[in-house]
Amino acid sequence: MKTPSPGIMAAGLIGLTGIILISIGAPSSRKASAPISETSEPAPPVSVSARGFSLTSTSVDLPVDDASYPDGPHADVINANCTSCHSASMALTQPALSAAQWKATVTKMREVYKAPVAEKDVDAIVAYLTAMPHQKAAPATGKAQDPDPKVAPDVSGGTG
Amino acid sequence: MDNFDAALASETSRRRFLRRTALGTAGLAAAPALAQQLVDLKLPGGNAERPMTSAFPGKGSMILQRIHPPLLETPMDVFDKSVFTPNDQFFVRWHWADIPTSIDVESFRLKVFGHVNRPLSISLAQLLRLPRVEMAAVNQCSGNSRGLFQPRVAGAQWGNGAMGNAKWLGVRLRDVLDLAGVKAGAVQVRFGALDQPVVTGAPDFEKALDIDHARDGEVMIAFGMNGEQLPLLNGFPCRLIVPGWYSTYWVKMLNAIEVLPGPDDQYWMAKAYKIPATPGANVAPGAKDFPTVPINRMIPRSWMTSLPDGQAIAYEASIPVGGIAMGGDCGVAKVDVSSDGGRTWYRTTLGADEGKYSFRRWDGRVPLRRGPNPIMVRCWNANGVAQPMKPIWNPGGFMRGNIETTTIIAA
Repeated sequence: MKTPSPGIMAAGLIGLTGIILISIGAPSSRKASAPISETSEPAPPVSVSARGFSLTSTSVDLPVDDASYPDGPHADVINANCTSCHSASMALTQPALSAAQWKATVTKMREVYKAPVAEKDVDAIVAYLTAMPHQKAAPATGKAQDPDPKVAPDVSGGTG
Repeated sequence: MDNFDAALASETSRRRFLRRTALGTAGLAAAPALAQQLVDLKLPGGNAERPMTSAFPGKGSMILQRIHPPLLETPMDVFDKSVFTPNDQFFVRWHWADIPTSIDVESFRLKVFGHVNRPLSISLAQLLRLPRVEMAAVNQCSGNSRGLFQPRVAGAQWGNGAMGNAKWLGVRLRDVLDLAGVKAGAVQVRFGALDQPVVTGAPDFEKALDIDHARDGEVMIAFGMNGEQLPLLNGFPCRLIVPGWYSTYWVKMLNAIEVLPGPDDQYWMAKAYKIPATPGANVAPGAKDFPTVPINRMIPRSWMTSLPDGQAIAYEASIPVGGIAMGGDCGVAKVDVSSDGGRTWYRTTLGADEGKYSFRRWDGRVPLRRGPNPIMVRCWNANGVAQPMKPIWNPGGFMRGNIETTTIIAA
């Protein structure tokens, strides 16, 4: 293994110092030490390093979606069944699909992705989905092929 | 007309939904005023407005497709600034909502097992000590641009921003497999990750590559992205990099590498992410019972990014235009541009070559007429494949690659 030049070593030292400084944070960003030792300071993030690259333990909070499906017939059913695995926006942003396509989608959620949806609720969910405002939009026109999505089977399995 | 119709006919409900979504995330992020701004992805048939969000950890301003599990799209103007996509604006796509939110770099292990001589449990400290490689490569969702398909198809309704380009730093998958000692008769390698289905019995997200592909010396396990560790939402602490192939194979939060003595016949390889086994993955809308294959190599694409679609500008005889191109599974050979609907094409100048799997900048100049000017970009890759004029169609909305048009209005 080649010995690093003094320049590279200096750059590495500066980089390491930078990482340490960043991980420590600006003085003002640190909490003042607690007057009583009841609350322990959170441990500094743990890192592993080798050959000039470090990985630091990470902890994040992901936003929680509290949006529900808008009011309408069977909104209670879809809100009870179709918000835990994915946001309501997944359905609300879909293009106009036929009732058969929506039924196939709900069936796929039940049978392939094991969504705990009772069979008796499927028709109500499909009724809600097909009545969403954009489901009534005029079909797209223009450059592409004959727009007849209702006859198009999805054999791709999704997704992406 | 029932109450439902009355309430929804004027689209107010959708707008209310968008506002509620934005407010919900703003409250959680405790950020000052999450942008209320909407972006119009201009998907044919409408329903194309999405809120912008900065509420996700490690992420700046992104197009919000879905909060849970996250689908975040990169705004197109980001691609105009550099061929490398900043980590905090790199697109995000998760299948299952059970995503670990805390990763301890000391206890994390990457396991290698199955049809091998020496099963391994590799710590990150060990991974960092293996021989390194760095490579620029475009990571593009199989369904990037799905929302532009006509007829429209179900699925995540992406515009063009479910893609990004980064310098990936890591180790060769081949080196890791060689440490484990692949046994004779290995056929595929399957990759698993820390994210899990939220319901029992649902198919865990796993993908597989043929053994020769896995050992080609290009497929990587990356822990660095543009010089930093990966954002958690892009797969921290390490993910698979499959240069030239669609992102479905670029398994995030990779923690399991299983060498298989036969092909992977589980859901995510056998059923999902399948394309028609036809040229260009193209079938006529309504076609049935065509044979399918797992999606694989990417194809050439290009976009104008110097002006947004629909931009009005003061008339000039000609204007400079620029953008990005990708060759797909090989480099970019040339990029041509047209402002007259494809009758006249002008050669562009390519920017720095950052590697055959990277985005490549292009810049050119086109004449304008008064009124709308449809500006088209066409990339030819190093294998001689050019973007077709006509869009393809398939029911999964995969592999769009036709010439894209950006309309500029000169007044």
